[in-house]
Amino acid sequence: MICEECNSREATCTIKVITGGESRLKHVCNECMQKFNRAFTSGNIQDLLSSIFSAIIPELDPKSETENETIPEIVCNNCGMTYRQFKEKGRLGCPECYAAFRHELEPMLQQIHGRLYHAGRQVLTSERAQRQRSRQEELTRQMNQAVAMEDFETAARLRDMLKEIAAEEAKECLRQQQ
Amino acid sequence: MSATATVMFSRVRLARNYRDLPFDLSEKPEKADALIARTCNAISMSPLRDTFEFYRMRELNDIQRHVMEESRLITEDLLKNLPVAAALVNHRDGLSILMNEEDHVRIMAIQPGMELLKAADDCFRVDDALSMHTEIAFDPQLGYLTACPTNTGTGMRASLVLHLPMLVLYKQMGNVGQTVAKLGLNIRGVYGEGSEAWGNMYQISNQATLGRAEDEILHTVLAVGHQLIDKEKQLREKYLENSRISLEDAVFRAVGIMTHARILKQEDFFRYWSNLRLGIVSGLLPMELVKADRMIEEVMDAHLAAYHQRELTDAERNIERASRVRNLMHKL
Repeated sequence: MICEECNSREATCTIKVITGGESRLKHVCNECMQKFNRAFTSGNIQDLLSSIFSAIIPELDPKSETENETIPEIVCNNCGMTYRQFKEKGRLGCPECYAAFRHELEPMLQQIHGRLYHAGRQVLTSERAQRQRSRQEELTRQMNQAVAMEDFETAARLRDMLKEIAAEEAKECLRQQQ
Repeated sequence: MSATATVMFSRVRLARNYRDLPFDLSEKPEKADALIARTCNAISMSPLRDTFEFYRMRELNDIQRHVMEESRLITEDLLKNLPVAAALVNHRDGLSILMNEEDHVRIMAIQPGMELLKAADDCFRVDDALSMHTEIAFDPQLGYLTACPTNTGTGMRASLVLHLPMLVLYKQMGNVGQTVAKLGLNIRGVYGEGSEAWGNMYQISNQATLGRAEDEILHTVLAVGHQLIDKEKQLREKYLENSRISLEDAVFRAVGIMTHARILKQEDFFRYWSNLRLGIVSGLLPMELVKADRMIEEVMDAHLAAYHQRELTDAERNIERASRVRNLMHKL
């Protein structure tokens, strides 16, 4: 793996960067690691801050800025927005931009959210799916109520019902993919 | 006293976009109109159809628009796209669907008190209605696709608006900020300029929207809310025990000013209002908390202008505010 700090030497150390409660691993080479250590021990706050900020927000790193200028422009074929325009505006042009800039966007999303995989609601496509979701939401509400009233027996029963629905849903998903 | 002693409002918003349209339609009025028609049509085919009123923002006057903004039914960002912006509003339930904001559709719900789950449910019902009849931009890995990557995933922002006079008095807000940040939340003043939070009103919200289920986000915000409620309560009890006379002085001084002042700047109003509210939750004043909370909206600039049906000068506003506050104090 190449050092994420100098982007040239082989990374030999791993440091943990914690931002907003999420931690991220950063791989650096020996020399860059020594630079971090020197900044810590010498008390050179300027060096230390600049290395910390570049670890958290690569956009602030003057090195990555010059690299950006040499990146060929990526264009979203759907709306015509370039990656550079997106970085200037901070807003994407259309939903297709996510596919066009995926390679560049993923590290950014990882930095913002600490995670890269959606774990929430899914778009509904059928009335059946909608009915199923309403039922799940109703059961979850009842379960939370039961927990609040310390009726753990009912809560456990409702939890099992929810698990069954989730298992059925997973099976259905598999069937559709096949 | 329950959570409402500290939690004034719960708010949830969802960002949604249609698959086939560019995010920003401010320069494309025809597409923006089509988006409005599509959204209204989806709602009209759902069981929610009779609960909303439709507003074209450019057809309202400035006062009407800002009254809606002060009531948190629309956002400042919606008004930035004035020529194309529209909203469906359910006044009774504090639920609105904004069209042509930063995203194509923003679903927003506001509820008084600690009712975050109720607010979320209201938003989800609208979301279901939309996704039943339209094609929403969704990626299996990244979830709902939004104009700004800070909203990608669930597109959800869940917030609690809290009144934290004791945490402010004991200079704990710095610590609170650091602690909530560790949990992936952020806290900021609701009203005021710079770092000052007028009325000691703060809003906590989730920062990350990707990689967590809506339920997890809601429960994190609720859990942190409960912690802050407890902390605020403990400090309030400590202050009542150690400095009762100071608290009474601040509270009754506020009552005196609010009942008799003839000129009241917004900033001053918030200071006295915060002490008044503190007096109610401490049991010093036999007044209704809900009415005290509702007072804020009533004395905001656009609401005062709406009362007079014309724009007011700064001086007129401060006189009118004092007069409204005097009236409202008699009804508390």
